[in-house]
Amino acid sequence: MSAACLQMRSIGMRYGEGAQAVQALSAIDLDIEEREFVTIVGPSGCGKSTLLYLVGGFLHPSSGSLCLRGRPIAGPGPDRGIVFQRYSLFPWLTVRGNIGYGLSEQGVARAERNRIVDQYVRLIHLQGFEDRYPRELSGGMQQRVALAQTLACRPDILLMDEPFGALDAQTRRLLQDELRRIWRQEAKTVLFVTHDVEEAVALGTRIVVMAARPGRIKEVLERGFDVADGEEFEANAAFAALKLRIWRSVKEEVEAARA
Amino acid sequence: MKAFPVKIIPLLLVLAAWQAASSSGALPQSVLPSFSDVATSLVAMLRSGEIAQHTAASFARAGAGFLAAVAVGVTLGLVMARIDAVQRAVEPILLLIYPIPKPAIIPLFMVWLGIGDFSKIAVIALACMLPIVTATFNGARSVDPMLVWSAQARGTSQRRLLWRVVLPAALPQIAAGVRTAIAIAIIVLVSAEFISSEAGLGYLIFSYGGAGADDAMLAVVIYLAALGFLLDRCYLAGLRRLMSWHAFAH
Repeated sequence: MSAACLQMRSIGMRYGEGAQAVQALSAIDLDIEEREFVTIVGPSGCGKSTLLYLVGGFLHPSSGSLCLRGRPIAGPGPDRGIVFQRYSLFPWLTVRGNIGYGLSEQGVARAERNRIVDQYVRLIHLQGFEDRYPRELSGGMQQRVALAQTLACRPDILLMDEPFGALDAQTRRLLQDELRRIWRQEAKTVLFVTHDVEEAVALGTRIVVMAARPGRIKEVLERGFDVADGEEFEANAAFAALKLRIWRSVKEEVEAARA
Repeated sequence: MKAFPVKIIPLLLVLAAWQAASSSGALPQSVLPSFSDVATSLVAMLRSGEIAQHTAASFARAGAGFLAAVAVGVTLGLVMARIDAVQRAVEPILLLIYPIPKPAIIPLFMVWLGIGDFSKIAVIALACMLPIVTATFNGARSVDPMLVWSAQARGTSQRRLLWRVVLPAALPQIAAGVRTAIAIAIIVLVSAEFISSEAGLGYLIFSYGGAGADDAMLAVVIYLAALGFLLDRCYLAGLRRLMSWHAFAH
């Protein structure tokens, strides 16, 4: 059996010192296999984004270890692509400049860069918008560009931090379909953080539910059925049952956090 | 035909009231020369080339000081934002220099650097530098950390972050600081030329004023105001073209 793409071993994360210290994450153990789509869902403040930033190498765990394809994670790098809810794109670069950013940082020559950028522009259906700046695009278009920008770096794993959280419901569904299609087509490994239970079920082949205070893994569920593009989730009994199951689990945590 | 710019109506009313007050005798020549006299002198000075010659002298001084301020100001602001020790060392000095009326230290600069152009350029540079340093520092410090993370996750090294992310992200604020510096350059320039000079618009105002030629003096003042206004408009128009990626508020 091959090693997991991403291994997290007894990760703990503390902020602050002494009595003021906050245990943000505790005893996180999680393996993500190649080409898996794992979603993490949980109440706000459960540390799900912090966990993603640890994988990104932007933060360092207080204890435990993280390995990507067997190598310990020491800092940020282009082998882990990240898409944030906002601010992934550089406002001063055009769509072309943004998608080609990582390639130019890695020294890819202009002609080759343009060829790859064109390929990703087609993948996200933004032909004709290559010379626009981010502020001239809708929120949904911006997030598609951010996705293309990340994919163009050919990362081993795609990290997504509530990337569709700021979008309206219709756009969000379209982008979920688009992401699922790209995940299948590009055979990527994805770790996706969301607070939206439906989104977690719609995208993840495995769904991690987190609990708060301290942030820890409450349960991990296999989806066990396929979700087709454009599917009406409401009409799928298995989908509805799993969504309800996870929603109750998350609600328990929300109420526990409030108590 | 383009729509009549309604914005200039108040200005026209003020000028009309000025002229009416002079013509009716309510405003004696000794208090304020009439607008028509001032306009006539301005046209004469423009025709004779006198204004153009002094504008060139002033422009060279203000331009040199201003450009030096942009170069030093942006560099210093970025270094301060990047290195805490530099910020802690430099900030008190800047805060102390800030409230000083810069024309007041011109004589000191003349003692140190001579009464020639160099001391004038230096004081213009110092005055213009302050808003640029502040704007650059604030701009560089307020770059969204997510943007920096985003760049790092796309392979940008710590060293390249400054050029690839921090500087471009701070540009809108730097541009605003530079705009303030343009106005300051004109103010300090004229003050410096009052104190000692043989050419320049400040010298022209000062020498006409001293000679009692109030209409000519005022003509140069109005010319300066128009010049400053035009420079500002051109600067903003240039920014909108060069930085079309940013939504400017005005």
